[in-house]
Parts: sequence; C-alpha cells; structure tokens
Amino acid sequence: MPPLGQSQGSGVPADRTKGQLASRLAAIRREYVLEARQGRGGREMQSRYAAEMDAIVRELVEGARGLTSQPLSVAALGGYGRRTLCLHSDVDLLIVFERGIDRAEARFVNAVLQPLWDLQLVVGHHVRELPDFDQVDPENTEFIMALIDAHPIAGDEAVFDAVRAHGGRLNTGLRDALTDSLLLLVDQRHAQFNGTLYQLEPDIKNAPGGLRDIAAARYLRALDPEAFEAEAAKAIDALQDAEQFLLRVRSVLHAEAGRDANILTHELQEKVADALACDGDTSRRRVETLMGAYFRHARATARALSRTQRAVRPSAGPAVQRLVGRQFEIARDGIRFVDAAAAASRPSLWLEIFRLAIAHGCAVSEQALDCIEQNVGNYGPDDFAGTEAERHQLRNLFYPRPGLYARLSEMHDCGLLNRILPEFAGVHGRVVRDFYHRYTVDEHTLLTVRGLESLWHPATASRKRFGGLLQELRAPELLTLALILHDIGKVEDTNHAQESVRIARTALDRLDLPEDARHTVDFLVGHHLEMSNVAFRRDLDDPHVVERFAHVVGTEEQLKMLCLLTLVDVEAVSSNTLTPWKEELLWRLYVDTYNHLTLGYADELVRHDPAGLAVVISGRPDDISETELTQFLSGLPRRYLALFGLASIYRHVRLARGIHRDEVHTVLENHDDVWELTIVTLDKPFLFSNVAGVLSYFGMDIHRGQAMTTPEGLVLDMFEFADAEAFLRQNPGASAEICRMLDRVVAGRIDVPTLLRGRERSMLYRRRGGEPPRIHFDNEHSRKYSIVEIVADDAPGLLYRISRAVSEQGCDLDLALIGTEGRKAIDVLHVTKAGRKLAESERIALMDGLERVLETPDETG
Amino acid sequence: MKLVKSIVRPNKVDEVRAALEKLNLGGMTVTEVRGHGRQKGHTAIYRGKEYDVTLLPKVSIEVVVTDSAVEDVIQAITRAARTGEIGDGRVFVLPVEQSYNIRTGERDAS
Repeated sequence: MPPLGQSQGSGVPADRTKGQLASRLAAIRREYVLEARQGRGGREMQSRYAAEMDAIVRELVEGARGLTSQPLSVAALGGYGRRTLCLHSDVDLLIVFERGIDRAEARFVNAVLQPLWDLQLVVGHHVRELPDFDQVDPENTEFIMALIDAHPIAGDEAVFDAVRAHGGRLNTGLRDALTDSLLLLVDQRHAQFNGTLYQLEPDIKNAPGGLRDIAAARYLRALDPEAFEAEAAKAIDALQDAEQFLLRVRSVLHAEAGRDANILTHELQEKVADALACDGDTSRRRVETLMGAYFRHARATARALSRTQRAVRPSAGPAVQRLVGRQFEIARDGIRFVDAAAAASRPSLWLEIFRLAIAHGCAVSEQALDCIEQNVGNYGPDDFAGTEAERHQLRNLFYPRPGLYARLSEMHDCGLLNRILPEFAGVHGRVVRDFYHRYTVDEHTLLTVRGLESLWHPATASRKRFGGLLQELRAPELLTLALILHDIGKVEDTNHAQESVRIARTALDRLDLPEDARHTVDFLVGHHLEMSNVAFRRDLDDPHVVERFAHVVGTEEQLKMLCLLTLVDVEAVSSNTLTPWKEELLWRLYVDTYNHLTLGYADELVRHDPAGLAVVISGRPDDISETELTQFLSGLPRRYLALFGLASIYRHVRLARGIHRDEVHTVLENHDDVWELTIVTLDKPFLFSNVAGVLSYFGMDIHRGQAMTTPEGLVLDMFEFADAEAFLRQNPGASAEICRMLDRVVAGRIDVPTLLRGRERSMLYRRRGGEPPRIHFDNEHSRKYSIVEIVADDAPGLLYRISRAVSEQGCDLDLALIGTEGRKAIDVLHVTKAGRKLAESERIALMDGLERVLETPDETG
Repeated sequence: MKLVKSIVRPNKVDEVRAALEKLNLGGMTVTEVRGHGRQKGHTAIYRGKEYDVTLLPKVSIEVVVTDSAVEDVIQAITRAARTGEIGDGRVFVLPVEQSYNIRTGERDAS
C-alpha cells in the first residue's frame, strides 16, 4: 500500500494532499503579509515561516521516503537554514544520500521537489552523495558557505551529522583559500554599488551594509574564529539589531511587491515607512526617518564587516606598534591614541590623527574612532577652528591626496565632520529624489572628494589631462572645501547653489580665509552647475557661448577649479553618469575657454565692460576721482578686473599718479614665501626684458606674472617670484636695492645685458634637460595682436631671454601672461610690430630668434 | 514602419525631443555618440600643442514610426536641430520589417 495521501508507486502526493499543502502555505503567507505590513516581519516571523516550510518539506520527504532504501538527509541552506526565510525568498534545499544516486533516488528527489514547484515556490536544490563531501572544491565558495548555515529538516540524523563533520574538517589551507575567495566576492559585490552604502534606492540584500554583508561577517568569523579579538566579536553581535531592521524592511518589500524584491525604491520607501511606523507628520518626513535608520544600520553593518576583514586579513603593517610623536602609535588596525583617556578631552589631537593617517597611508583605528565618537558631542565648531593654527591645520587637512576620502568618511561616520562644519550636517543622510542621483547628498559630496583624489593617479588617458589641471592648482585645498560645501543648500528644494553660498558664509567666516581664497570658494559653490550646463547644453561652436562663459569664470585658475569640480560632481552622481562623451564636451569647453582667457582677452578692454567699471567706480575711495579711475582703467584689458580685487586696483591707480618718461614706480611686497613686484611705467623698447633681467640678476625665480600695456603706453607689470638665492631674506636693504636698480635700468643708466653677462654662463650650466621647448604662433585668436605661446622647461633667466629676443626683432611686447606649472614655464606673449600684427616674414624671423634663445641661452647676452 | 535615426548637436537634443513629443510618437531612444560628417571635425590647440577633435560629440535620436508619419518626423527634427552652420547633423530613414513588444510578445501593426 502506498503511504496515505499518495498516488500509487510515484511517491508524489495525491491532489488532496497537495491541496492541503497549498492551504497550509497560503495560510502562513497570509499571516506573514499581515505581520509584515505591521512592521513585524523580522526574525521571529521569518523563523515561524521557516518552521512552517520545514513542516511542508518534512511531509513531502516522509511521503516519498519509501521510494529509496538509502539513508538520506534533507536540510535547509542559506537564509532558510539560518531560519530567516523571507516571504518570497528561494527555498534552498540540500538533499544528501549516503551512497549513490540511482533511479530510485531520482524518483525520491522528484517526489519532494515537484510538489514544491507546484506550490509556485522557487526552489534552489543541491543533490549530493555523502562521498562528494570528501573532496571539497574550494572554488565553490558560496556552496561551502551555505553549508555553514545548513539546518536539518528531515531524514537521518547520522547523514546530516556526517555532512556537518565535513564542514568542521576544513584544513587551514582551505580555510585561507575560502577566506580569500569570500573577501573577493564581497569586493566584487560592493564594486557594483560604487563601494558606497549611501544609495538613495538601496538594495538591502546586496548593497554595502546589506544582509549579505552581515552573512559575510559571520562566515568570516566562522572560518577563522581565533583571529577575532573580543572587540571584533562584539561588533558582530551588534549586528543583531541591524539584521532585525533589515529583515523587517525586506518583509514589507516582499509583501508589497509580491515577489523576491530587495530594492528599497522611492515608492516602496513610503510603504515601508508606514509599516514600520516611522516618526513624521508627513510622508516625506516618515521616509527621512526610515532612511536615517537604514543608513545607521547599514553603516553599523559596514563597519562591523570592515572590522572583521581587518581581523582576518590585517594590513601588511608592522606587527609591533610604532610610535608617531608622543601622542600616537600605528598598529595593525590603523593609527591609535597612545592615551585614549587623555585624548578624549583634546580635540586638537583628533584632527591631527586624521592628518597623520593620510600621511602614513593607514586607517584611523577603531580605538580612536570610538574615542572621538563618544566625546565629539562635548565640542563645537569653534573648538576646531578657534585659533589661526587650528584653521591652518584644517585647511591642510583638505589638501586633496590619496586617502582623503576614506578619512573624511571616517570623520563623517564618527560625527567629527559635522561638528567641525555644522553647515554640512544639514545634508546628513539627505535624500533628494530625481532621475539621476543615486546617493544621499552627504555621500555624493564625499564621493566628489574621492573623484578628486583619484586624479593624482588617473586611470585613463582621457582623465590624465584633468589630472594635469589638479597638479597646476595653487590652492587645491580650496577646491576640496568648495566640494564639501557645494550642495549644503540642498536642505530645501530651491535654487540650491545660491542657498549653499548663503549657508557656507558662516563656515567661511569661521575658517577666516583670506579675501581672495574666500572669493574663490564662494565663486565655485555659487557657480557649481554652470560649467556642466554650458558644456552639455549649449552650442560650443558658438564663440559667444565661450566668451560669455569666460567672463563668468574670469581667470584660468578659477576655470581649472570649476572644471575639476564639475568633472567630479558629475561623476559622483552615479557610477555611469560621467561618460567619455561628457568628459570630451567638458574638456572642449575648458580648452576653448582657456584659449579665450589667455589668447583672446586683449581685444576686450575695460571700457567695454560698463558693469564691471561701475562696480570699481562706486567703491572708489575719496582720494581717487572718477576721471582718474576711468582714465587708468579704460585702456586695460577687461581681464584686469577679474584678476584684481578693488583694494589692489585702487593701489595701482595711486601708483600710476605723476609717472613720467624714464621713471618707474615700484612696490615690492612679501607674502609668506612669495614676493610680489608691481611696477608702473611708460612703455619703451626692451622694457619688459630689462625688468625680467633685473629679477634674474638678483637670483629671483619668477613663478608667474602679468604685463599689460594700454594703447596710451602706460605699462602695468606684476611679477610673483621666489627669493631663490635668499638675497632678500639675508640682506636687510635688498628690497630697496632692487627698486633702485629698476630705477636706473628704466632710466637707461644701466645696460642689462652687460649686467647679466657674468651670470649668463652660470645659467647655461644650470639649465635643466627635459622636453624640447614648444613655440606656437597664433595670428587668428586676437584682432589686434599676434600671439606667441611658449611651453618650455623652466630655467633661470628664461623670461629675460625670451622677452629680449622679442624686442631684438623690433617687436613690441604689449601683453604677457607668465606662468610656471611644476618645472614647466608657460608664457603667452601678445606682440605687435609698428602697431600691427606680424607679417609672415616677421613671424619667421621672430620664431627663429626664439628658437635660438631657447636652445642656446648663452648667446643672448 | 520606418526607423528615423537622426544625429544632432548635443545642445539641440532637448529641442528635438520636445518637437518629437508633440507628434505623440510613443517612444524614442537617445544615445550619446561621437563621430564626424563631411566637416571631419577640427584641430584644436591647447598650450601650443594641437590635439585631435576629429570625433565630435553628437547625440543620436531614434524613433520608429508609421510610414505616414515619416515626413512630419523629419520636418520636426530638421526644424528643431538646424542652426544653419556646418555640423548640424543628419537624418536617416530605414525600413523596419517587424517590431515586437518584449513584455507581451505581441507584434506591432506595421
């Protein structure tokens, strides 16, 4: 006789029994859905559902038991094995026969699985013979891990025990291989999510901080229990809360979607927030509460997994702790406080530990992070930026370099970043719904910093050109600061760029930045959407588009910063937003604007910019009349207004007063290690090269400069240089001596080539080898000027030699932009001959002359 | 049915899309592409060094329409994408043999 309720011989349940099983499943599922919608779909409900599934499977196994005489075991695997079976999750079963699998066993398997399929369950089944477990395939990591969770449902205990025993017999080598393999799987999975848990629509199972991370942390611990200190083991226990929360959320997702749904979409966030009774008077507030809780739990999970990873695979650092100064030591898990109790009340040490971590390329240890997290609430922003030294320390911390993103993330996670910059706290976990952002506002912001630091080691040739811009920036830390502040206005759904500028004001007040630095950060934050808007939505073939954009950015430095900010801002929106296509458009706009700023600027004079002129006039001090101001400015290029603040402009006006032929008015000032010389005089042949020659004579290393000549012959030159031979530093009267020398040179009482003859030879010997110089002649960009652009290895006296060669050809050097980037000099010279652009024969002669001096510096003297 | 494939300037994509949406066509595919037409791009100069911009960024917009709608679609695209300058792009019309809805498996009427 066949067992009760089974059709004869097949072991497959009769229709009546199938109906009973279906009713039983439907009943528990109804209960599950009700519980899930009340926010009670956590561990207890899932365990009850697993037990009910066990009963169904057990009944089927018992019914089919007569089909085979072999001892066997049927066990639950994975989440089902862990007793966390979610409503529409796969039912993973392991069926093991003691000896081999023949037709009888195949019938048994069919008799168990077929009814489950008929019940519309998704069954993951592994059918094995016990001897299979003698040879464990280390490649099959996921199956071996699933075995750790195996839970017996039916069959012979002895068979299940034998399977379990195999798990316990994993030798050390195999455990190591499995650990490596598991860590790799985790990395690959995280990479699909750009390595961040702060997803706006998170996959609560697979994303960083999700359920798979919890399982991975437990597997790692199971594989190598001895590697765990009590501290790390405690962290894993803390995962219980996170897991319970995620299970409750997942149950709602399954109940609402009617399938194995794991993505907490915007639409489902509202349903989950209601089910979990999240606080809030509006739907939006409830969602924010939910997502706040989600990120908290996901962060705890990610941190626990990270601890676990460090426990099983400590970094290659020294096993012995190494002291760094008196307050810090570097251990295997990162940099620690020597005395955590003392550090708890010394917030200046907190910033220092992050700086040191970046400098030493290591993490900040859990000990230090815990110490800061527990005490950060006792301090406010002024405790970190109250003195000039602290502000300096903070600015330095923002210098973009490898490791900055990771450390800023740690600072953010432990609450320190929000204390230092409370303006940033407003976007903590902030969810902005649109079609393209994938991450919360704070994480998007930190990812921009990751993008910036990655430009030190660009992954592609296309990215390398942007990396070059980063290396050229004079104050890249201001770019990091602007990035941190650029979206803080997203607390409201208004024009967030201007709102960010408004909120940033208090932060910039507190950081007490110099005026020009503050202006730069303000500009970047306020215009952070401008460049992508122009690059991706405007016609870049239209010269007016480029011209207008060039007026917005004003200077090459701001252009470079805005370009990099735009690049990393677009990149941090989601992993596929920044396409090579967009990179190309952005680069094209950068180049066209750069060319406009450096090659085309001379055609636009201040007199064509009534708005800019009006600002300067309205702010003028009493000692400067409108007429005097207008006369001074009107012949200067419009760019002049973008380069200098009002205070500098008025100073230049005063400097130009009463200037006569053969006279020069000079100001020589020192800012930190950089000297700045401003001169006003009237134009004459060889003037520029003579001034450059005087600076070379005193051993000055010219970094950058501007030379402007008005149509009326007024010359305004600015040079920024380093006191390379310490002449100014070591000689009290040196500053006056340089000014006296300039007086005599301009008056024609000293011949500069004669003065320099002795030094020329030494310059030759100090010439650096490198790339051949590049000279580009452009007669198109400007209406009035021929433009010569020279890129060459920087060398002492280079500017003198170049400008002298120009004058020797009878050319007037009307305007010049002098720059050095690293060891490269980039000089752009606007020249004319007899008031006109150069003819072809004149061009050839000038190029020959320039090539000669760039190749053989000793012939110019 | 016809596949109308147009290559337009990146800054014209919004205008073309709006013009096509007015025709109630059902759907469209927009792709970022790079290429050149007869003008073969141009050479740009950065810091005295030439760099090649032969492959210019463009946008490809594809719509499948009934034969009777083709003329309207071409007009809508050309009107919206034209600036009169070199580099305005191209419109191609290709025959479509069959079209299926993947979700339902239904074949669309031709």
